[in-house]
Amino acid sequence: MKKTLGGFGINRRTLLTGAAVGAVQLATPFVITARAAESVKIGLLLPKAGPYAVQGEIGHQGAQIAIDDFSGHVLDRPIELVWLDESSPQSTQQNMHKLLEEEKVVAVQGGVSSGDVLAIMPVAERAQKLLMASGPNATEITGKNCSKYTFRVDLPNKVTVNAVYPLLKQRGKKWYFVVASYAWGIDAYNQMKEVVVKDGGNVVGYDQAPLGTTDFSSYLLKVRQAKPDVVYVGLGGTDLTNFLKQMKEIGLTNQVALSSPIVNDTDLWAAGPEAAFGTYPKIWNYTGAHLTKRGTEFVEAFRKKYNQPPESEGWQDWFAMTSILTAIKETKSTDTPKLVGFLEEHKFEGYKDTPIFFRNFDHQLVQPLLVAQVKEKITDKYDYFDIKSEYPKDAAALAAAYGTQAEIGCTFKS
Amino acid sequence: MTELIISQVVNGLVLGFLYVLIAIGLSIIFGMLGIVNFAHGIYFALGAYFALTLRDSLGPWSIFLAPLGVGIVGILIEMTLMRPLYGKEPLLGLFMTFGIALFVEELIRTIWGATGHPFNAPAWLSGFIIWGPVLVTKYRLFVLVLTVLILLALWLFLHGTRYGRIIRAGSRDPEMVSMLGINLKRVFTAVFGLGTAVAGIAGVLAAPLWSVVPSMSESAIMPAFVVVTIGGLGSFGGAVISGLLVGVSVALSIQFWPAASTAVMYALMILILLIRPRGLLGESWERFE
Repeated sequence: MKKTLGGFGINRRTLLTGAAVGAVQLATPFVITARAAESVKIGLLLPKAGPYAVQGEIGHQGAQIAIDDFSGHVLDRPIELVWLDESSPQSTQQNMHKLLEEEKVVAVQGGVSSGDVLAIMPVAERAQKLLMASGPNATEITGKNCSKYTFRVDLPNKVTVNAVYPLLKQRGKKWYFVVASYAWGIDAYNQMKEVVVKDGGNVVGYDQAPLGTTDFSSYLLKVRQAKPDVVYVGLGGTDLTNFLKQMKEIGLTNQVALSSPIVNDTDLWAAGPEAAFGTYPKIWNYTGAHLTKRGTEFVEAFRKKYNQPPESEGWQDWFAMTSILTAIKETKSTDTPKLVGFLEEHKFEGYKDTPIFFRNFDHQLVQPLLVAQVKEKITDKYDYFDIKSEYPKDAAALAAAYGTQAEIGCTFKS
Repeated sequence: MTELIISQVVNGLVLGFLYVLIAIGLSIIFGMLGIVNFAHGIYFALGAYFALTLRDSLGPWSIFLAPLGVGIVGILIEMTLMRPLYGKEPLLGLFMTFGIALFVEELIRTIWGATGHPFNAPAWLSGFIIWGPVLVTKYRLFVLVLTVLILLALWLFLHGTRYGRIIRAGSRDPEMVSMLGINLKRVFTAVFGLGTAVAGIAGVLAAPLWSVVPSMSESAIMPAFVVVTIGGLGSFGGAVISGLLVGVSVALSIQFWPAASTAVMYALMILILLIRPRGLLGESWERFE
């Protein structure tokens, strides 16, 4: 005998089925809402360990500020940042595949090491996804190895050497080079050597140091023996910190001119006021007359969230993420061709004292840079630099400073 | 050129003593407990960070108290996480120490931040001494002297005291020592604490030379493993010879082929292991055969 409920001739199975159907009907609007709120995923490839781990952390923080600026949403969907490690060309390439194929990100940002970025550029090109290279400096990234899908925020070595050379050459003609033995360091040596030799200077020594070198004492013995006027180091992260600390140990601090193709404040903060010195090109500084209203707002937001001022890497990744999100917002799309088209045409105003833009023929961000000198007396925990000048001095010379299309040799394959 | 080579060899020997100091704690823990301690670099890093925290309030005392603190952390980790793994599959110990290394590095990042911290040598140790072609900084000379004293003290402790004899006997035949009524658990805990404290000393002494960042353990762990492997796992004398050999090899490679200066220590390790798989002074231990 069939059991009925409440004498209405409805059995339990029918009631449960009806309840389930009703529940689905009631829930449908929420299902639709959930689908509409599917996140916009953006991949981040920055180091979590190794010599550039600090840059990775600060870069991640900068990107987060950009997301906060958009209140965490774009196209009415939440923004999701997926951060994977950038540790070596091979493993970074694997993580790039993971971001594109498993995480289905709409674009990837990051890259401190030029070697890693050169390894992932072909992956972005094959997948036809936007790669916003926030931190590499090897000239060829927007030069002979350029890609239609790669945009570069950071400065090419070719530009930075021209920015600092006039100040450094006043110190003498004898140059010693110690550079990291990979794409960035070797390119830095080639670019600066060309300028030095053309101007009648001498290279009195050139050493490559493996990335992640902790002890430079044997290198410094060679430097000391060669008695150079200028020491130009293609070193970054903890390598530069170690070099500065050991220069102090051996009594070379302020005894020679010191520079590098680019510098991160964190490397000098870690060396400390007694060991930090030199003249460096900088993409940005958190103090100085060059700061715009937008830049000041970024400094304040960063300080509020992380209890310390942002340094160059923070600005780079903040701007990189801002440019991706602006492209998505303005094109109302996550389609790569639309994003690429927007970035090739858009002028970003308010980030520096002149509008900055990605060139459509090499995707290099054209922007003024700073020539900064470490203060003689450092009294603040974070404020290490005096800004000596901007490069180029004349905004009209900006595009020319980055070279013409013929000079840089970039041709997009597709 | 000859002068520069002599200078590099001496610099390599001084650097070698720093490698010995980093490696010796690893060697003690392996030699006595049979644990390949992947977390060794973390105790090195903790030494530097503890000294960083204590130096403002305690001044020079922080040099002594920081390693002591590291030793206490080592003892707590041994009692809670390592002890249950004794006598079990060696792979478990590897996984556990690897996990501890990752966890403590993140902990350092959370407590002290990702950004590096300045750490200078005391003013009375600044400057350098020049003897003919040889230049040695006062600080490195200080590290060398201290390392020799620590090695001497450890050797005397292990070979000249009753406790040392118990430790050495326990490392060879733990069952027999237990049957004699000695509480080996406590002995093992003390050895682990000693090994980690020595790593802490290395961290304190390396802090004025190298970057004090959460990932600084990486700069210690690889040379330490290479030195211990070349010297022979668990061999005290082997670690000393090997550390000096690695230091001189690195210094000379920087003179002639700098780009290969990291690879040279691994090449040396491969070469020695091919000729003598137990390392330079490694012995056959029944317990590990």
